[in-house]
Amino acid sequence: MFNVQQLPVYTVSLLPSNLSHTEALRIMPSAIDPSAAFEQSATFEQLALPLFASLYNHAHWLTRNQSEAEDLVQETFTKALRAFDSFQPGTNFKAWIFRILRNTFLTTRAGIAAARTVFLEDQPDTLDNTASGPTPEDILLRLDNQAALHTALEQLQPQLREALLLCDVEEIKYKDIALILDVPIGTVMSRISRARRTLRQLLQPQLGESL
Amino acid sequence: MNHPTQSNQSAEHLDPNHLTPETLNAFIDGELPPSQRQRIEQHLATCHVCTLRVLSAMQLKAATARAGHRFAPPSEALARLTAQLRSQSQSQTNQQPQSRLQPQPQLQPKPTARIHAIRRPAYLHPAAWTALAAAILLAVSLLTWRQLHQTNSLAAELLDQHLATLSSAATPQVISTDRHTVKPWFQGRLPFSFNLPDATALPPDTTLKGADLTYLNNQPAALLLFTIHKHEVSIFLTQRSTSPTLTTLPATRAGFTLHTATTPDLRIIAVSDVNPADLDNLVASLVQAQKPI
Repeated sequence: MFNVQQLPVYTVSLLPSNLSHTEALRIMPSAIDPSAAFEQSATFEQLALPLFASLYNHAHWLTRNQSEAEDLVQETFTKALRAFDSFQPGTNFKAWIFRILRNTFLTTRAGIAAARTVFLEDQPDTLDNTASGPTPEDILLRLDNQAALHTALEQLQPQLREALLLCDVEEIKYKDIALILDVPIGTVMSRISRARRTLRQLLQPQLGESL
Repeated sequence: MNHPTQSNQSAEHLDPNHLTPETLNAFIDGELPPSQRQRIEQHLATCHVCTLRVLSAMQLKAATARAGHRFAPPSEALARLTAQLRSQSQSQTNQQPQSRLQPQPQLQPKPTARIHAIRRPAYLHPAAWTALAAAILLAVSLLTWRQLHQTNSLAAELLDQHLATLSSAATPQVISTDRHTVKPWFQGRLPFSFNLPDATALPPDTTLKGADLTYLNNQPAALLLFTIHKHEVSIFLTQRSTSPTLTTLPATRAGFTLHTATTPDLRIIAVSDVNPADLDNLVASLVQAQKPI
């Protein structure tokens, strides 16, 4: 079903600690022509600004705070523009910048705490127990209650919610989510699966009330 | 809602053709290669249980997408961001003459490149043009983003409502194949009126099933339910004057066709998985029915 070997690999790691390295490389090609740099930053804005609202929304889900979300997006744009030379045209820009967003988030205090939780809870055994959950075929959830869904999303474990939002809200492919989260594609699938199963469980009492 | 009995359910689960949770997720996320997708579609054509599961999963996905789009940036945040980007790209660019010119001994390496840039119109000129271009670009991209965001959520809402009508538990508020029953039912429920085509004026094998009063984009709307060759079709009618300017909806979403038409008074949006040509015919007959005789 999925060929892990064929996944595209971004050549430059975008961990913040590596950014100074990419910045040093940047000067070489653009030093030839100053207008090239202008063009490049125009290209960057053309690609990045339409994603501003998406990045902000995602940042808000990560930080759970309006001003931290804005700071996070600002820092993401700064880093992304600085590292734009390392972006390979033709690859997925959205995945690239979401990866920077996430790596930037991981350097914040909230992000460090979240990363610790992920490490403890993200055990690879989760792929196998999917069959034992409640089977969804006998229920068609009433999803017209937006508030219930908001509450359910808030109750999801952050790393499950993160994967689910990248998939459902941002419509990013599994292979790119794997790059953003820096986990194997199987983990992405199991997180999405667990997230949906948990959402169903959380929404089930709602079903009893509304029918 | 129809609950399959417990024994039925476990027997069904023994069938190796049934979708595993992982496959189901990959299917609704559009992650499967065409061959596997086709196999599943064949299975779904005969398996009620799996079809319900797929439907239910698609509903949850659509609802998550809407609920997940929750936090809009403060209005001035984009301005702050672009200001920051401008100054950043300015300072990045201004470093370039320095790095290029540094090896030439006749130019003093300091003061900084920023001053060179200001004193030399050659650098300022492209900068001014680029700034202007970038400002226009920003305005355009902001506009496209707004429209895209709006249409995406509208498309999600339309699809969501259409999927809801597919569920066996959803019975229309008015069940009738007779246009003379369906149309008057909306009297006093909608702030506008519309005409329904006569059964003979409908395209072949197209039947009116009933109707619902619904809300679309916070506007009251008539939801007409048709079938074309057993495919369910949802037709949303809204008042054109009060609906905000709609940009073009995507032609398809999650495999369903979205078709829009307008008359002087109404906006008609059709959602279905029937082939687009048949859907066009039905929409055309509705548009035709609105014309004064």
